[in-house]
Amino acid sequence: MQGLVKAFQPSSNEVQLGIKQMKIRLLTGLLTLLMPAMVMAGEYGLTVDRVKIDTGDFVKEGIGYNGASPGPVMRFKEGENVRINVTNNLDEMTSIHWHGLILPFDQDGVPGISFPGIKPGETFTYEFPIQQAGTYWFHSHSGFQEPDGAYGAIVIEPEGREPFRYDREYVVQLTDKHPHSGDRIMRNLKMMSDYYNREQQTVGEFFSDVSKNGLMNTVSDRMAWGSMRMMKADVEDIHGFTGLINGKGPSQNWTGIFEPGERIRLRFINSSAMTYFDIRIPGLDMTVVQADGNNVQPVSVDEFRIGVAETYDVIVRPKDEQAYTIFAESMGRSGYARATLAPEEGMEAAVPQLREAARLTMADMGGMPGMDHGSMAGMDHGNMDMGSSEGVSGMDHSNMGSMDHSNMKGMDHSNMKGMDHSDMSGMDHGSMAMGKGGPSDPFYAKGSGLVPTAANGGKFLSYSDLKAQDPLYEDREPTREIELRLTGNMERYTWSINGVKYEDADPIRLKYGERVRFKFVNETMMTHPMHLHGMWSILDVGAGQWNPIKHTVSVNPGTTVYMETEVDEPGQWAFHCHLSYHAAAGMFRKVIVEGGPESTQAKTGVVAEDGGEA
Amino acid sequence: MNVSKLLVAGVAFSMSAGAFAAGAHGGGHGASSGEPGKASEVARTITVEMYDNYYEPEEITVKPGETVRFVVENKGSLVHEFNIGTPAMHESHQKEMMMMVEHGVIQGGKLNHDMMNMDMGNGHSMKHDDPNSVLLEPGQSKEVVWKFSDKGNIEFACNVPGHYQSGMYGDVNFE
Repeated sequence: MQGLVKAFQPSSNEVQLGIKQMKIRLLTGLLTLLMPAMVMAGEYGLTVDRVKIDTGDFVKEGIGYNGASPGPVMRFKEGENVRINVTNNLDEMTSIHWHGLILPFDQDGVPGISFPGIKPGETFTYEFPIQQAGTYWFHSHSGFQEPDGAYGAIVIEPEGREPFRYDREYVVQLTDKHPHSGDRIMRNLKMMSDYYNREQQTVGEFFSDVSKNGLMNTVSDRMAWGSMRMMKADVEDIHGFTGLINGKGPSQNWTGIFEPGERIRLRFINSSAMTYFDIRIPGLDMTVVQADGNNVQPVSVDEFRIGVAETYDVIVRPKDEQAYTIFAESMGRSGYARATLAPEEGMEAAVPQLREAARLTMADMGGMPGMDHGSMAGMDHGNMDMGSSEGVSGMDHSNMGSMDHSNMKGMDHSNMKGMDHSDMSGMDHGSMAMGKGGPSDPFYAKGSGLVPTAANGGKFLSYSDLKAQDPLYEDREPTREIELRLTGNMERYTWSINGVKYEDADPIRLKYGERVRFKFVNETMMTHPMHLHGMWSILDVGAGQWNPIKHTVSVNPGTTVYMETEVDEPGQWAFHCHLSYHAAAGMFRKVIVEGGPESTQAKTGVVAEDGGEA
Repeated sequence: MNVSKLLVAGVAFSMSAGAFAAGAHGGGHGASSGEPGKASEVARTITVEMYDNYYEPEEITVKPGETVRFVVENKGSLVHEFNIGTPAMHESHQKEMMMMVEHGVIQGGKLNHDMMNMDMGNGHSMKHDDPNSVLLEPGQSKEVVWKFSDKGNIEFACNVPGHYQSGMYGDVNFE
């Protein structure tokens, strides 16, 4: 019966389905009616097409699904079995990866690891059970088809009720659309790694630093950066894009309609090739209820940073009859995406100015091995932009002079006599608001120049705020630890893990049933969103059993981040940095899960023989 | 100056303000939520179950002036509150609850009772003992006897940070 209902009532986002697909869906509906014993199954269709993408700033050829980029929102229901027929209308190989979905490895859509790929003109049928709920996305895992437009959203309705309430919902899918094709960008980066970096320090800046900081300090600072083969401004490798929300550029202004007083669930998905976004909606609190599709204990924030490939679901409640701007600034402030929530189409609110770009500090290089500290002898560390009151020494109270005491007006100190502080051992000083003493976040290097702050001075989401709403796994000791150093050479645009790029690396071998602790040590100056396919990444935020589960874990420069994985899916999987050009340059591994149900082991051999490119 | 002293004093101040506000709202004017009820006047009992993060039921209907005994059960795995008030009262209470989280009084599924009972001077504490509310750990059950006043915009709500905002509230309808 479910199948029939589905066939007659495609959700609004599926209207782009071709007529042929509709017929198939109708047929499936009838079949389902005739065979009531069948498990609930949904039949879906996607065509992979050459499309035109209009950003408002430029129009270019790209790749999309069902004739558009982004593709449709695929709406599944937890517990159903889906069959998705993917027809390749391109003249090259393609593939679709269901990002964040837990499924058999041969349905995961990575050419050379899960399957050989989909040939031109061929229709490949994916078939897998939906075992989870939440917001996810899908994209091509072939070449640079994803940066070229081959992505879409996945929304899975849970079997039971959601642990939160809302009156309406919107997918808010971001990307960083560049006028150049992915192939061309990669060629240019390989030739000249700073080809797309407009933020480089100039000769003029050198002389202004000289007058400010003195010649020796400026020279030694530049030399220190030069010896690391990096440029100080490399928060982002790729500038010159137009930020899109649901396929619309800032001037095209995608708009979501609401009635004042309604609760709206916004499903943010960052489908960018390379760009992290800092997202805010001036005038509205956002209550984060999901991260990477998994429910988290709700936390209200003014702003949050979304890494490439991550998703965050937030609930907002606009009470006034006015428009609100959804503003997404790129982390490096080289561009932005913009959309609007409004009571009616055509209303708009002010669009904020881009804030000044963050600058990496030497602290962001903390993990760099082989740094020649000897050459830094003449450096005056007093000029380093330490940015944080926590500095190097942890809780140094002498730095707290700028704490904001303004909220404490009217405090009657006369009552404080005889206060017994002996009982305060349980107080968690770690969570004390530090006022304006400088931003700090345990997921950024101490003294980092990258720590984000909210534009309105309010709360900026940290990974350490993410706590699982309902832990999926029992907390247990990991069976072993695997260290993965994130490595690279910016000037040659090589990116690797433990200094070895994908083509030259042995697979990571895991054993079915073990719980592995991954230690990411970021030895580069870039932020890397690490994505393990097929199994959950339990991010260690220090919350024990409440640690959140994610599919993409962002690792900031100069930091070490731990995640644990319950190895509960057999087969072989991809594990890589989700920045498109870093993955392509070699920051990528194959993971082989040894053991597990026997039927799956036979299948891995077949795929391995077929080969193909990842 | 020891910073923690300042912050604790800040909490003491804020909690006393909260208690005062609740008292002032007991007066019975249009925006009030009612007053503590007498057990002898209880007309009926309503069981409210708290899950992560929602109530069952999500709305109740009462008569103006009716005294109701609420049996509140926390069936979730996080700390939850059942608090009867106007949206404005909930909003101001949320600031106090945020303080309680920041000071480790509410820790996910646990309450730090030592912290709650700590004498903060002048008889103030973070006990959370206002008569219009209960704050429960998982598995706990407590009663609230409440006499509703006139019709008004009354909600029962959980003001643990983020819970109200994500939808953990219920409507009180008047017959």
